[in-house]
Amino acid sequence: MKKKIGKALVVGAGIAGIRSALDLAEIGYGVVLIDKAEHIGGVLSQLDYQFPTNHCGMCRMLPLVERDAGSQFCLRKGLFHENIEILLGTRVTAVAGEPGRFTVSLRTRPTWVDPQRCTGCGACVPVCPVEVPDAFNAGLGRRKAIYLPVPHQVPNAYRIDPAACTRCGACVDACPCGAIALSTAERKDFRILVVDDEPIVRQSLESWLEDEGFAVDTAASAPEALEALEKSEYQLMLSDIKMAGMDGVELLRQAKTACPDLAVVLMTAYATVETAVEAMKIGALDYLVKPFDPETLVPMVMRVHEELLAAKDRQVEVGAIVLAGGTDYFDPRQQAGNPYGYGRLPAVVTSLEFERIVSGSGPTTGRLVRPHDGRPIRKIAWLQCVGSRDIQCGADFCSSICCMYAVKEAMLAREKGAGEVEAAIFYMDMRCFGKPFQRYRDRAEAEGVRFERGRIHSLAPAPGTADPTLRFVALDGTVREETFDLVVLAVGQRPARGAAELAQMVDLPLNPWGFLATSPLSAVRTERPGIVAGGSFAGLRDIGESVIFASAAANEASRVLHGTGGSLAAIEEAATEFRDVSRQPPEVLVAVCTCGDRILSQNDRRQWIDRLERDPVVQETIFIDRVCTAEGWQALADAITARRPNRVLIGACHPYVFTRRLRELGRATRLHPALMDVVDLLGPRMAASGENAEAVSSSGDLPRRLAMAVARLQGTCLPQVEATPVSRQALVVGGGIAGMTAALAIADCGYPVDLVEAGDRLGGNLRWIGHTLDGHDLNALLAEAIARVGKHPKITVHANTRVRGAFGEVGHFYSTLEAADGAAQTLEHGVVVLATGGGEAAASAYGFGSHPAIVTQKGFQEALAEGRFDPAALNTVVMIQCVGSREEPRNFCSRVCCPTTLKQALALKRDNPEATVVVLYRDLMTYGFAETWFTRARRAGVIFVAYRLDDKPKVEVAGPDRPVTVTVTDAVLGRPLTVAADAVVLATGIAPGLPADLAAAYGATLDQDGFLAEAESKWRPVDSLREGVFACGLALGPRNVEESVATAGAAAQRALRILERERLPAAHLTAVVRHSLCARCGRCIEACPYEARRLDEELDRVLVNPAMCQGCGACEAVCPNGAAVLNGLSMPQVFGMLDQALA
Amino acid sequence: MAKAAMIPIENGNLLAGLRQFLRQVLARPEIAAVLVPCQLPMKAMVMPTLVSDPERLSAANPLAPAFPLNAARMVSRLTRKEAGGTIVAVLRACEIRAFIELVKLRQARWEELIIVGIDCLGAYTNKDFFRIGDEDVEAFTGRFVQSALDGRDGEVDGVVLAPACQVCTDPIPNGADLVIGLLGADTGRALPVAAATEKGASLLEQLDLPGGKMPEAREAAMTDWVNRRRSKREAMGEATRSLTDSLEKLTAYLATCINCYNCRVACPVCYCRECVFVTDVFDHEPCQYLGWAGRKGAVKMPTDTVFYHLTRLAHMGTACVGCGQCANACPNDIPLAELFITASAPLQEAFDYHPGRSLDEKPPLAEFREEEFEEVVGIK
Repeated sequence: MKKKIGKALVVGAGIAGIRSALDLAEIGYGVVLIDKAEHIGGVLSQLDYQFPTNHCGMCRMLPLVERDAGSQFCLRKGLFHENIEILLGTRVTAVAGEPGRFTVSLRTRPTWVDPQRCTGCGACVPVCPVEVPDAFNAGLGRRKAIYLPVPHQVPNAYRIDPAACTRCGACVDACPCGAIALSTAERKDFRILVVDDEPIVRQSLESWLEDEGFAVDTAASAPEALEALEKSEYQLMLSDIKMAGMDGVELLRQAKTACPDLAVVLMTAYATVETAVEAMKIGALDYLVKPFDPETLVPMVMRVHEELLAAKDRQVEVGAIVLAGGTDYFDPRQQAGNPYGYGRLPAVVTSLEFERIVSGSGPTTGRLVRPHDGRPIRKIAWLQCVGSRDIQCGADFCSSICCMYAVKEAMLAREKGAGEVEAAIFYMDMRCFGKPFQRYRDRAEAEGVRFERGRIHSLAPAPGTADPTLRFVALDGTVREETFDLVVLAVGQRPARGAAELAQMVDLPLNPWGFLATSPLSAVRTERPGIVAGGSFAGLRDIGESVIFASAAANEASRVLHGTGGSLAAIEEAATEFRDVSRQPPEVLVAVCTCGDRILSQNDRRQWIDRLERDPVVQETIFIDRVCTAEGWQALADAITARRPNRVLIGACHPYVFTRRLRELGRATRLHPALMDVVDLLGPRMAASGENAEAVSSSGDLPRRLAMAVARLQGTCLPQVEATPVSRQALVVGGGIAGMTAALAIADCGYPVDLVEAGDRLGGNLRWIGHTLDGHDLNALLAEAIARVGKHPKITVHANTRVRGAFGEVGHFYSTLEAADGAAQTLEHGVVVLATGGGEAAASAYGFGSHPAIVTQKGFQEALAEGRFDPAALNTVVMIQCVGSREEPRNFCSRVCCPTTLKQALALKRDNPEATVVVLYRDLMTYGFAETWFTRARRAGVIFVAYRLDDKPKVEVAGPDRPVTVTVTDAVLGRPLTVAADAVVLATGIAPGLPADLAAAYGATLDQDGFLAEAESKWRPVDSLREGVFACGLALGPRNVEESVATAGAAAQRALRILERERLPAAHLTAVVRHSLCARCGRCIEACPYEARRLDEELDRVLVNPAMCQGCGACEAVCPNGAAVLNGLSMPQVFGMLDQALA
Repeated sequence: MAKAAMIPIENGNLLAGLRQFLRQVLARPEIAAVLVPCQLPMKAMVMPTLVSDPERLSAANPLAPAFPLNAARMVSRLTRKEAGGTIVAVLRACEIRAFIELVKLRQARWEELIIVGIDCLGAYTNKDFFRIGDEDVEAFTGRFVQSALDGRDGEVDGVVLAPACQVCTDPIPNGADLVIGLLGADTGRALPVAAATEKGASLLEQLDLPGGKMPEAREAAMTDWVNRRRSKREAMGEATRSLTDSLEKLTAYLATCINCYNCRVACPVCYCRECVFVTDVFDHEPCQYLGWAGRKGAVKMPTDTVFYHLTRLAHMGTACVGCGQCANACPNDIPLAELFITASAPLQEAFDYHPGRSLDEKPPLAEFREEEFEEVVGIK
């Protein structure tokens, strides 16, 4: 694919990091993606199920455009993309430079296992004598010191945990590939000088460190030490501070002058700690407080050793940095007094541990039994807000994700338990604020999940057992006790470990909650241009939101890269002219890597040849020892050049790793890499059930795999699919903040944008909101956006204009714009962003319209601004939440109304502290940092009364001049409460403004509430199912300003993938139609999930748009006679493979 | 809309009455032609015939127990694209069902078509029908109709209905625009004709027919008819299942198949232009045959016969209307109708899909429902 010189660093390879990396890579930038963990995927590698589908689906994030640039398989297993380099076990150690030119130092932890050689056979595991808790299973299982970070990674090389490893060397002997090299050998070269005037200290240190393989010399005094340093080279000096004559600090000073590279660790008694700390300023690396034992000393020395080894830190030059380090989870042991007994009671687990219990790859292989005693789990309680919404825990925020994951886990438990599992969720507010969340929660309740309002103070074991018993006050006021098989603590989020250090390293502040501080109203930009925050690194977000913020961050990074010249094309080698083999009958060269004798012995060769050459398309079978080496690879290239086959099949290991090398081989041999294939001969064998692994791995299986691949490869042809040309400009419909932001984001990357606004002015809802809950001025944001749009040379604003009609497909849409004066024009554009916004929903309840004191939130704000309400005269104000919201037909949360209520209530209390403000709510949705203002409102004396959906407040109007009476049943007290109100403010929520016919004109669909139906709520949150059509802002769903701005950035970035290309190339796996066989029945059109097929009435043919086709094969499956063909996986190929599998 | 009228019958001559009715239809200026089975002048057989000259309707015979082919295929040819005139087609119930399936598969259109359905009395296999020899087809038809309406199930001179017809529980032409009732009717005087659609009603209004309605006795006659057939159908299913409930037995059942593909040509819903089995997908390499023979010791030629029938079952199982033409077309007398009817029943039941029941019901393969057959697909 087209490559640009711009490069970005993405820190964190969780879901957000992957999204940012792909977003940047897909538009041609190089990406270095790092993670301090030994695997990609972050916490999602441990989560098997996500709501609302209760499936995974991460693979939907894979590139849809130019698919062949990346791998196309399970993203939880691995990620391969031409433009992405992944470094695991890696962290940032230094950042210097400016936007466009950062120099970043990266340090990769050694794993002592060569991933090129490790085949993942696992022979090392049984011989390893060390067992430690398995982090992948959240500590519920145990693993060895040599281990797989996650069981499903591809390629899955073993790693050694240096902290646990005893360097016994058993694994080195057991490894059949010679892949393990323990660094004890290097330790012999690591020379340590121990300086102490006490012989006992010298001796014990010498013996401890020599046991670990280090080379140790000793000195009894500072002068003696200096002498030793003069004679030979040392890497580390451990020196006492208090010594007769010259003390340790002076020794340090002199030693550092003589040997500047020497690492010095001072040993100090407690009394001289201050001295030691001072000494660090003059070059001491660290200090140790005496007395110490080997458990303290040895790891420290090892760490120093490793740090020094890693002094060969890698430097990368990047133009932008995306920080996507995610979050961590609260450890319930940190709660004062550990009231839930986590860690003491085995049946009290965290939500992450529960995810592992229901996971097929978890400690119980997905059976619903307690890991500690194997007893079936029949009754589970979830306790919400553990480490969230708890000022005592330092968490004056809502973690935003726990309510929904708890509901999901409860549903999973009910499902796994075939209805025999009781699931109860104890909560304060169910914060189901995402678009489909409320309905999901309602479904859970309908399916039998119990929702109990109230915070559980503590729990204790039931008498005589260790089963946790909850004591709680039920809504009816009675105190109840209930014993559960399992209590799941819904632990909240915390800033990622190391986030503070990282922030400090890049010189960025943290926000009051301990997360990275971002610019107001952006959430991805920081104070330092070129360094952006993605995913949940700067906030508390679920998967879908993290993905949005990751794409928005990628967009910011793209703008920086573009703005600093990064879009210039990298110099590319001239395109290879491949041999035209289309008219030749297939001739396959099979090259088998023997990998020493590991794959097959000399004796087996004849048998393999006979088996493979039974198929006459096999021209020859050759054997190469270690094809992965330079010599092996050359031998293969030579064989291809000499024999001129038109298909090449390689039997080796790590097929995914070969992708890049095949491209090189193609250039060298002029055979198109699509006509080559690699079969994994060392990967896990498929065992039919009942068959033992031994029998399966016997020799017959491997030649069969090759024969199957031959059957497929011989039918592989180079697709004759034309690339789709792209009209490289965008149409943005809607001139609110989302539309303007999207337009700017696209235009800033160099592409023309037409921005259509139906009204006479840009601005949308920002023209009335004023400021946000946290006090940011929206007028300033609006003014800046309007000014930038106005003077941007690439943006054309069409005010007073509507889209009257549109047709076309990705790459070339045609839209007819009609101005208010009737003038029409047609635009051609490659993508469209729907940013049609929304507004406050109309009120039709609680006597709205019958009394001037009953207003909506917007009406209240306007009345205050216009002076119709005087805050001083408002003695009592009642605010009613969820008016017509969160119940059918508008059964979704609008997200903005609760914060707006807080904003208005706090403003009222500020202007009139005597005023009584009563908020009637169902669940207060102050997710994320908005929780802080909920706390403030309570402190300011705002009264919050919860009401139930089946017992809504009643508003009575006695007359126009008399106050309005509001009666509500307090859900906690159970008593009716009557308030005479001077104003009743109704929170009616958001109504979308996306006309169905507009969406339909572009082939997109609306959801049942009238918002755009996104392709996938988590993985493709701003795309419509129809490629080239995106949405942002309120058209997509209810969101606040900051979130809407993020969706705009995300939508722009998704659009840029298409605009970046002159033509959208087809992938090798693309569907084609054999028109002579096609009966035009149209089944394939209905089956295509990407809407890539249509019947052209004029041509009387079914056509496939190769840019939209994703090669899923649904068309081929429904076509009865093979008229729908998936190139590369045609029916004859599949039949051939089956035939060989059974042969 | 439930408009009904009576077609006068003189001297119990049903055919004459029906011909007169069709002449009236063809006399309407908006009707371009009538497609109706007509007696061949040169041979004792009836064939679907597109008639535009009212005179030629004197050969029309939609009641003869001859069913040489399922005419849905012919209607598909006539309606696949705009024809420039409205056709009235007289079809059997199973032909109408097949036609509806073909419309769903975009192989036919209903826009310029009015379907007239007559309660179906069934038909003989082709071979049995030819046994009437030189007997006048019209006279034989009279004897057949008498036998069918008298409760002898169409048996004439020891010749019985084709197996598929014997077990047909859907002889009522539901789905037609106009339904002509035989069951429960006083066939000596008049046949009731009722409009089931707007299109049928507006045509009926234009015809100069006395008013009327479906007879009260029709409901009971239909129930009786269906009940008798249902028990037969169950017995046939039982017998067929026991003959085909393993791959070995199925192979024996289909042993005489020679891959002539007649059954697929005869099948009204097998709509592919070219069957995949005659495309290059099944153009095996000579070395493959040798490989199979080498592996198994012997391989029967032609290969892929069982595979072919299984594929047809998979492709057509949900659309099979049970017309029995597959069996009719088999040169080697493989009882394919029994196999298809038996195998399709549980499949159609599982999807609650009745081919030909309604245009609004999408074929199961054309529709994706996420929450369906969780126990089968293993996704929850």
